[in-house]
Amino acid sequence: MKLGSRQILFFLAAVAPVGKLILLPPQLAAVAGNDLLYPVLAQIAVQAALIFCVLLLSRRERTVYAMLEGSIGGVGAKIVTWALVLFLLYTSFMPLVEQKLLVQSIFYDTIPSYIVFAPFFLLAAYLCSRPLACTGRIWDILAPLSLFGMAGILLFSVGEADYGAILPVGAAGLPGFSGGVMRTCAWFFDAALLLPFVGRFDYKKGLAWKGAVCYLAGGAVLLFFLATFYGVFSDISVIQVFAFAKMSHFFAGLTVLGRIDYLFIFALAFVMVFYTALPVHGAVQLVADGFPAGKWLPALLSVGANGVLLALLFFFNFDADNILSAVTGNVFWLIPAIGAAFILLLLLFYGRRRHEN
Amino acid sequence: MKIKRFLAALPGKLCLLIVAAVILIFFSNDFGLVDIQKTAIVLAVGIDRDGEDFALTAQIAVPKGSDRTTGGTSSVEIEGRGATVPDCIADIYAKTGWVPKLVFCNLVLLGESAVQADVFSCLDFFLRNEYIPNSCQLAACEGSAGEMLSSQSAIDDTSALALSKLFSDAAKKSGYVMTTTLREFAVGYYGVSGSGYMPYVRAQTKEGGSGGADSSGGGTGSSGDSEESGAQEQKVYSAEETAIFSGGRLAAVLPREQTFAFSLLEGNVYTGSFQADGQTYVVLKNSGSVGLELSDVPMATLSLELRVQLYGTREASPPEEIAKSMLTPEQEARAEEVLTGYLSDLWDSCVQTGCDLFELRTKLYRTSLAEYGKWKDSILSAAVKIETSVKSVS
Repeated sequence: MKLGSRQILFFLAAVAPVGKLILLPPQLAAVAGNDLLYPVLAQIAVQAALIFCVLLLSRRERTVYAMLEGSIGGVGAKIVTWALVLFLLYTSFMPLVEQKLLVQSIFYDTIPSYIVFAPFFLLAAYLCSRPLACTGRIWDILAPLSLFGMAGILLFSVGEADYGAILPVGAAGLPGFSGGVMRTCAWFFDAALLLPFVGRFDYKKGLAWKGAVCYLAGGAVLLFFLATFYGVFSDISVIQVFAFAKMSHFFAGLTVLGRIDYLFIFALAFVMVFYTALPVHGAVQLVADGFPAGKWLPALLSVGANGVLLALLFFFNFDADNILSAVTGNVFWLIPAIGAAFILLLLLFYGRRRHEN
Repeated sequence: MKIKRFLAALPGKLCLLIVAAVILIFFSNDFGLVDIQKTAIVLAVGIDRDGEDFALTAQIAVPKGSDRTTGGTSSVEIEGRGATVPDCIADIYAKTGWVPKLVFCNLVLLGESAVQADVFSCLDFFLRNEYIPNSCQLAACEGSAGEMLSSQSAIDDTSALALSKLFSDAAKKSGYVMTTTLREFAVGYYGVSGSGYMPYVRAQTKEGGSGGADSSGGGTGSSGDSEESGAQEQKVYSAEETAIFSGGRLAAVLPREQTFAFSLLEGNVYTGSFQADGQTYVVLKNSGSVGLELSDVPMATLSLELRVQLYGTREASPPEEIAKSMLTPEQEARAEEVLTGYLSDLWDSCVQTGCDLFELRTKLYRTSLAEYGKWKDSILSAAVKIETSVKSVS
């Protein structure tokens, strides 16, 4: 079973932007202030280019492991695959922390117990044990849900937004821009997320540029969201974590209609659950590719990986800020550098030949 | 054969069920279960300062009976004291065993003592706490906020609900109430203008109303003591004045007329009325703006454009005039003159108190960083041009 190219485009346009709505906006506002759009614009442009590369790579219609094994042998392929797996697991941790904080803060009226987030891992363990191609059907469902949630929240928020707040352009200067780029690196690894999918969908003519354009379209919505976010909260944006769940709260109609914005918040939170589980899913399937030891291997790997992540999450329960500071601070370069290196090297070695198998 | 097929499909179906159950648990919000015996649903809080310390009065909703005669919401007020606002909350918890649930808190009332110092020493907690909505209304009041909340309203069993009526959208459209939320006030405070406003509430004793509303259903009246409640004076609240703030401190209290002028500038007014020379005019269309021109020196422009109708006079009028309700050119000119006077007084109040109510610094900042650096300190003393246009509509 393979994914459809349409499903890949759905992911890039509608699912990928949702992963940037929780902590990125206030983190970015803290560094770039009213110039928060430009660092994200740069990140989106880079990711779109990398997505173009990954989709070009997929023209060979072989998995990453199969391509590596064919050229550098099984041992070399396993080493590179494990490196990619570790990278994906690393990228998966911060979205998990974000999700946990979101659930605890937004879905509960007072501070809940730590355990409330644990059911996520039951779902994640199940999801990750399934073949990657299954995610295509999930994206078919998630894409309209994401559009529904995003449209609703933006519709309820634009009336309260003072878009003049993003002026004057360049107030944060070069330090604001570079700081913003560095701070947001941890959220932009969508191109690397596609690597486990390489060889699992049929490449159709023009998919590479269509993918890049879809990602740019999703990015444009993300930029509009950020502008609205800053327009609503302006100088207090820095303290507005979980912004997407708060922006629509000021809509005047809610006093009459009740908190119907929760429909949109839940829709986006639902999409986020699957986006959060995706790096682990990719990692599990990459390992399963390299070790075809039976049909139960993905399930065992999935339980193991999610179990470890659950333990880490409990272990670092009160260290969200430290994790965030580390991932977006000193080692901010890890995600963009390793992600881009994997993609560009793979494209360099395997990108030219087409339909070789 | 059918059983075999069923058993073969069972793991998939089971997985689907488990997934559905997990999603349900994940998004359940504890199925909305709240132990009402241990939870206090706070409707409003009043904050006063006592020297360096704070006194926070929480108005807690107490459900009354569900039958027709006793239905509704009653309340009880509990005061907590402490060195910080969260200390006061902890004090309430310690005194009552109730966990104050602030997610439904829609009003933060600041007493006179609280607004003399930087109000964000009181509001800081509300910004930090993720479980308090930033959309809650802010208001300042004369005297003690605790006493105001504990007073017996003549129109509602619960003072917070009576006050919230004053801050409704309909009241805002009248032009005599300028409401603000915690978010809006914080944006103004932390922005380059460093200014803000909130309605200023006064309570008047209702004439002949010392009997008190029978709000003691269930044994808990507004003061928490039904006998005392019976003897308490009934109060009528008004919020037609506006407290303006600079640097978080109370700068001035704008009278009713200036509040109306400010509402007009914000374009809030619809079917609000004002009076000039014994004639009352109703505003049917209101557009207002504050502009800033930067030529050699900055110049502010306050512009109002109104479409009004004659709403009432002190003398009897012929039916033809009543039917048209038009203003004569003289009346239009007089209405413009009156409103220009209000705007002029409003501008003077802001200049004298150093309150950047019209966000001139923000406008300057957004226009140009260089101009902002040049004029930010003197912008409040810029020249002002007031343009008022009142046109009659039949």
